[in-house]
Amino acid sequence: MSHHLFLLSPSDTPIYSLTHYTSKPTQTTSYPLSSNLPTWSTSAFAGTLTALSGASSATQSHHVQGGSTKMGGGQDRHVIQMIANASLDMIEEVMRKESAMYLKSVDKFNEWTVSAFVTPGNMKFILLHETKNDEGMRSFFHEVWELYLKTMLNPFHTAHTPIRSTVFDTRVRASAKKYL
Amino acid sequence: MQQYAQPHSRSSVLSGSSLSSAEHLSPTSGSARFSLPSAPSISTTLGTPKLALRPNIYDRNLNKTRTAEVSASAFAFLFSEVVQYTQKRVSGINDLERRLNTLGYRVGIRVLELMVWRAESSSKAPKREVRFLPALMSIHTQVWRAVFGRPADAIEKSVENEDEYMIIDNDPPIERHISVPRDLNTLSCSSYTAGVVEAVLDGLGFPARVTAHSTPTQQHPSRTTILIKLEKSVLEREEVLK
Repeated sequence: MSHHLFLLSPSDTPIYSLTHYTSKPTQTTSYPLSSNLPTWSTSAFAGTLTALSGASSATQSHHVQGGSTKMGGGQDRHVIQMIANASLDMIEEVMRKESAMYLKSVDKFNEWTVSAFVTPGNMKFILLHETKNDEGMRSFFHEVWELYLKTMLNPFHTAHTPIRSTVFDTRVRASAKKYL
Repeated sequence: MQQYAQPHSRSSVLSGSSLSSAEHLSPTSGSARFSLPSAPSISTTLGTPKLALRPNIYDRNLNKTRTAEVSASAFAFLFSEVVQYTQKRVSGINDLERRLNTLGYRVGIRVLELMVWRAESSSKAPKREVRFLPALMSIHTQVWRAVFGRPADAIEKSVENEDEYMIIDNDPPIERHISVPRDLNTLSCSSYTAGVVEAVLDGLGFPARVTAHSTPTQQHPSRTTILIKLEKSVLEREEVLK
């Protein structure tokens, strides 16, 4: 099971991303759309299409090199990015009238639920997750917010530069391990 | 979809100038949303043992400097250098004010984030401001208090234009030691403050053009008006939320 975190600047530039795997087992569910799909094994887009439809078996063979982590289906990197990207529209709509910074389950796509955190300066933290863990995510976002704030208070940091600090990375990972 | 906080009004300002800090404001709109440039590994083995003892920025407590104050004379000295440096590199008063505004903008984005964190981080469900008037009130009191140590003197709404608001400061601390020469008499160094205000409004999702004007009175010779001209989208949004 995995969690995916993206930090997006106000102009939607990605400045940090993290994939966090937990050892908890994933329950496999089938989605109606995937069973109705024809087999486009020759098409170049087959992998993406089946992944988007929620099938988890079709693309398995393409990603065996992934090793220990389970790949394929909705777990493809580009599909994850697309889901996070697509959820921005929902987030921007909700954040206009919702004053809370933590936006719980703003979007859903197949097995993924998208939760977000919008800082007062319009930074967006997007988290893709498969299971419900409200309190944990709230605490996680809270810690990421503090870490991000400490980064951006650095006068040499700018809103569009990717965060490359190893300390930041270690802290976010530790926080993910603790709460997710 | 509209992006509120894109520094639209600024990118045009900076495109023709040689300001070295321009890159942080230029929106990298051409790049895909999720293509992170490959990060070169930063070597951490360089620091001497002495440097390693210094606390990391991530170890610091953000509330530690909450009540800390900056020496007014040190600030006045630094600010005068900022103005002189900028003045040597511009073609006119407008350009100078724009650059001071840009410098203030960099301060403003940090002030906003830190100020709200200090106010909200202890709460279970932290909140942002989504309505314009409460946001304006919080600039008048909280932002002014965080930056200058006291609230501003007044807020006014323009009678002629419904998209214009004014924040009035009778004695702006940053102008206390500045005397503007006669040939530059339209210059207001509070453009720096205007930049701070613009950044705060931008961050909260109320894009506006903010300028500073000296409006002296008998009683207050350095009275300054920060004029906020809101973008149309803000008024439309307020109408919807009503």
